[in-house]
Amino acid sequence: MTARWIVAGVGITLLVGVSGQVNHAQTPPATSAASRALLDQYCVACHNDRTRQAGLSLQTLDAEHVGQVADEVEAWEKVARKLRARAMPPPGRPRPDDAAYAAMAASLETALDAAAAAAPNPGQPPIHRLNRVEYRNAIRDLLALEVDERELLPPDESGYGFDNIADILAVSPVLLDRYMVAAEKISQLALGDPSIRPAVEKHTVPYTLWQDGRMSEQLPFGSRGGLAVRHHFPLDGEYVIKLALQRAYGNHIRGLGEANDIELRLDRERIQQFTVGGDGERAPWDAVSRPTFYEQTADEGLEVRLEVNAGTRLISATFLDRGAVVEGVLEPRPAVSSLAYSRDRNAAMALESITISGPFNPRTPDKTPSRDRVFVCYPAAAASEADTEACAGEILSSLARRAFRRPVAQTDVEPLLSLFREGRDEGGFETGIQFALRGVLIDPEFLFRVERDPAGVAPGAAFALSDVELASRLSFFLWSTIPDDELLEVAERGDLRDRTTLEAQVSRMLADPRSDALIENFFGQWLLLRNMSAASPDPDAFLDFDENLREAMTRETALFVESQVRDDRSALDLLRADYTYLNQRLARHYGIPHVYGNHFRRVPVDGARGGLLGQGSILTVTSYPNRTSPTKRGLWVLENLLGAPPPPPPPDVPGLPDADHGDTGRSLSMRERMEVHRTSPVCASCHVLMDPLGFSLENFDGIGAWRTDEDGAPINASSTLPDGTSFEGPSGLRDLLLGQEERFAETVTEKLLTYALGRGVEYYDGPAVRAITSGAAANDYRWSSLIVGIVESTPFQMRRSREP
Amino acid sequence: MIVTRKHLPRRTFLRGLGVTLALPMLDSMVPAFGGAQVRAAEAVRRLGVVYVPNGMFMPNWTPEVEGGPLEVTQTLQPLAQFKDQMLMVSGLCSEEGIARPGEGAGDHARAAGAFLTGVHPKKTEGHDIRAGVSMDQIAARVLGQETQLASLELSLESSERAGSCDPGYSCAYANTLCWSSATTPLPMASDPRAVFERLFGTSGTTDPAAWLKARQHDRSLLDMVTAKVARLSGELGPRDRVKLNEYLEAVRDVERRIQMAERQTTRELPAMDQPVGVPEKFEEHAKLMFDLQVLAYQADLTRVITFMMGHETSNRAYPDIGVPDAHHALSHHGGDKILIERLKKVDSHLTAMFAHYVDRLASTPDGNGTLLDSVMILYGSGLSDGNRHDHHDLPALLVGGGAGQLAGGRHMRVAKDTPNTNLFLTMLDKLGVAIETMGDSNGRLDTLSV
Repeated sequence: MTARWIVAGVGITLLVGVSGQVNHAQTPPATSAASRALLDQYCVACHNDRTRQAGLSLQTLDAEHVGQVADEVEAWEKVARKLRARAMPPPGRPRPDDAAYAAMAASLETALDAAAAAAPNPGQPPIHRLNRVEYRNAIRDLLALEVDERELLPPDESGYGFDNIADILAVSPVLLDRYMVAAEKISQLALGDPSIRPAVEKHTVPYTLWQDGRMSEQLPFGSRGGLAVRHHFPLDGEYVIKLALQRAYGNHIRGLGEANDIELRLDRERIQQFTVGGDGERAPWDAVSRPTFYEQTADEGLEVRLEVNAGTRLISATFLDRGAVVEGVLEPRPAVSSLAYSRDRNAAMALESITISGPFNPRTPDKTPSRDRVFVCYPAAAASEADTEACAGEILSSLARRAFRRPVAQTDVEPLLSLFREGRDEGGFETGIQFALRGVLIDPEFLFRVERDPAGVAPGAAFALSDVELASRLSFFLWSTIPDDELLEVAERGDLRDRTTLEAQVSRMLADPRSDALIENFFGQWLLLRNMSAASPDPDAFLDFDENLREAMTRETALFVESQVRDDRSALDLLRADYTYLNQRLARHYGIPHVYGNHFRRVPVDGARGGLLGQGSILTVTSYPNRTSPTKRGLWVLENLLGAPPPPPPPDVPGLPDADHGDTGRSLSMRERMEVHRTSPVCASCHVLMDPLGFSLENFDGIGAWRTDEDGAPINASSTLPDGTSFEGPSGLRDLLLGQEERFAETVTEKLLTYALGRGVEYYDGPAVRAITSGAAANDYRWSSLIVGIVESTPFQMRRSREP
Repeated sequence: MIVTRKHLPRRTFLRGLGVTLALPMLDSMVPAFGGAQVRAAEAVRRLGVVYVPNGMFMPNWTPEVEGGPLEVTQTLQPLAQFKDQMLMVSGLCSEEGIARPGEGAGDHARAAGAFLTGVHPKKTEGHDIRAGVSMDQIAARVLGQETQLASLELSLESSERAGSCDPGYSCAYANTLCWSSATTPLPMASDPRAVFERLFGTSGTTDPAAWLKARQHDRSLLDMVTAKVARLSGELGPRDRVKLNEYLEAVRDVERRIQMAERQTTRELPAMDQPVGVPEKFEEHAKLMFDLQVLAYQADLTRVITFMMGHETSNRAYPDIGVPDAHHALSHHGGDKILIERLKKVDSHLTAMFAHYVDRLASTPDGNGTLLDSVMILYGSGLSDGNRHDHHDLPALLVGGGAGQLAGGRHMRVAKDTPNTNLFLTMLDKLGVAIETMGDSNGRLDTLSV
């Protein structure tokens, strides 16, 4: 992070709500009489007590006391929002002039902000269960142990587009069962329990991943194909590492025509080299040939048994690149998803999997990062019972403080100590600690984030969170994990309310690698990037798609977003950046020359590819497997960039017409079929908003490759919005969006705030959203100003006390 | 895959056990482990629900002939050999899945939410999700008294997906069919390894003694947690207590299971290798999940299983059978002949997976017959024609002997717009679970066992 990070003057005052400065309205605010008149003239025809369109009546709203009548605040917020976006009255109905729009919006917002500053409503989220990613990270930071949360816990439900929403994160008997199993496994792993049974774990390379060139930064230079994985070895002991090679469709091991050298490495040290191929009998080549014994069993000896010390280690298996071809000069080849490839036993030899089994003859390790973390003391062999218990108490207090994320008292430690005693009586000191650790890991104060009301606070009153509670909010927001020692110490000292300290902590946390969680979890969900892993483009429609491309697209956007945040760019640069990150595979897909090799590097890009709208990941997750969907793309833009999801479609929607429908005598294009669909007025009401946005991206096919025609018909990427605005192509769409930068920034703020709070953004958050956005506007919407704005906002810093 | 090292001896479950068994703790207000007397020596009755998402291509499903013998339509082909154990009910409707004025889209979320509950799901993305107690959970309250697990909820699709599901509806609606209360949707497990551990614990074996020993250790942990929750409860408000109560009920559920297991230590179980995770291929995953269901019934760990072959709006493609299209998109075929052909393939493929299950049940001895004789499985969907989001005339097929309560080999058609909850009430009757009404029910079907 640069020094620029510390933003002075983000317009929020701690704890007393927001300073009501709204800088986007230059027009003088409207008077209450003018507001009333405007409502009567333009709105009340539909939104009256009788018809209540959209469940809203504006007939009797008290325009003289905006923000002061609690029951009316929600309606006023809605009005302000619609006016600001010029979204109402609907197109075709009489509308006020622009100045009147701006004046009334400004007057409403000023009044609402002032009322909120005087009597803030920060919301009242319930206790907040950790989702499984947070759980995994908490285990990592509590016990220096890497676990695979997908194996331990079921996935979490999402709401408001995110999987960290307190209201949604429930506990079921199944989940508790998993927590208990996880606690048992984790405590065994952390301490290196010698009773851990041997297990078999298989790491598989996807079949449709082309294993050409160097596959990752974790693999040696001059290598081709293969796999590098991090694997946890729970104990010191013997392990068996076994490699399997990929088979062609007829079960022939691929590439046996010539000798291949395979290298197996542990933490980058070579532990074994194998040579396979070129020395056995192969079946004659014809369509029905059955594999010979050799062709089925040539990989059977690819196995080593060796002594490994406990810990998480990097295992890799890769082929030595004998071809001596310059990395990147690729020969023509069939697509990996094609029939031609699946049957080709002469394709290059490829790794199918690495299987690791063990431990055999295990021993408890003397020293591992996890044991170092847990055993802050260790009783001597001859220690008295009292000394042993004192040490256990010390260990458990230190674990409980970090696990519960607050200072702990004897009342917290005592129940853990009694678990310790039970375990100790059965199996000794370490068994006792292990049993108590299991208790910590299923304790509701570990599994839930608990925020308490201070003593004496009136029910329903807004109050500032305690410093340690604020520390947890910060660490779960920026790191998706528990606070580290430094943050917890600052909070325990009571210094976190100091603005300079708070901002220094935020900036330290963002510079820490743990903030990758923000990239992965916030951006991954906001932009739907997480759906990339499940995208399944149809090989018939997109023969070019393979796992390499999937990985490359995912990585491109992740690197791009990360650079945006780490360089503290303007949020608007997400749309207008003139660079991206590419490797050869992706560059070839995009038609960008002179990018060689599998590693990613920053590459300048021109108009159409610039920014998120030109990135393969976004374009793929908003397509169907076998075609583009202008509607899905348009919806993505409306929902995620403009914060204006269209009203949901009515029930019993007629489907798209048949492709051979119409009197042109030829198949209709997708765009033409959609245009027929839109002749129905019911459908048109929403599609006139979504489709034009999506049409402008039609030059990108369903996996984001550039195209100029679809089945021979030229692509038409020109669009017109209901209000008559015309634009064309990705650049046109980008300019259109940048022309509404306030709406875009406000949407980013709302999404980020939803994620930061773990709850839906409600009408009473309107003043905070405006304050954060306008504060950030003064800093060109830099990520630092948005994030600090959120951290210092009323809903982040405060909560409303519980009502019985 | 299941490796049966020894067959279960033929035996009658629970005969002579005559003990007091605990009610599943569905209501935290009643004291734990109060109990109802369980009638011993009755034939074991089991309920299954197997759900197909996104509706079906109905012309290939519904037989033209009513009455018997059951005509094996194209979609039913894989099940042909079991047709005498199949009873098709046509004409049922899930009225509560239909949009109310102003609700707009969301037919898939509503279809799933209303399917087993007969209650109109509240349109919301947030904390106030609400439907009703589902049929399987009503059955579990009674059938679950005699087993360690009251019910199992399984799916072939993980509930992970970024972004919204059906617009305006929490993903919870489309991801599950099971509701233990009007506000508690139950998550579905899709990882076979996790399902195995749920059934048999982490010891890697199906030996019940190993499981029990490990769990008895848990008792002190559970006691500690219970005390902690009580302490926290006093400090927190009503909305937090809802969460804590969920947690506490889960704790009691585990305690109940331990108690139950202590009475069942003599049980012999078939051995199975612990699955390593989710298989890559759909077919392997489906068969493995079905195998686990057979095992759960066989070991009598539960008598109620609900299984979704995909969540509503599932966009799974089926490349292995030559269908590259996303299922949900395909279900909106718009009359396109090529797409319809593919949709038919998907329907048949799902039936074929189900047929594997039925075959396994039919070949697993149970009591004096097979598991297929004792089970009553509903195979169907919450939509009929997915293309139009039609909630009427749903596909519904009852499979199994229902412990002598079902007369199969027939196709019956009920009066138009009969709520599917009428079928459920009748099924519950036959399972020995007597309730007056549920959801939108307005009667019973009287011809299931004719």
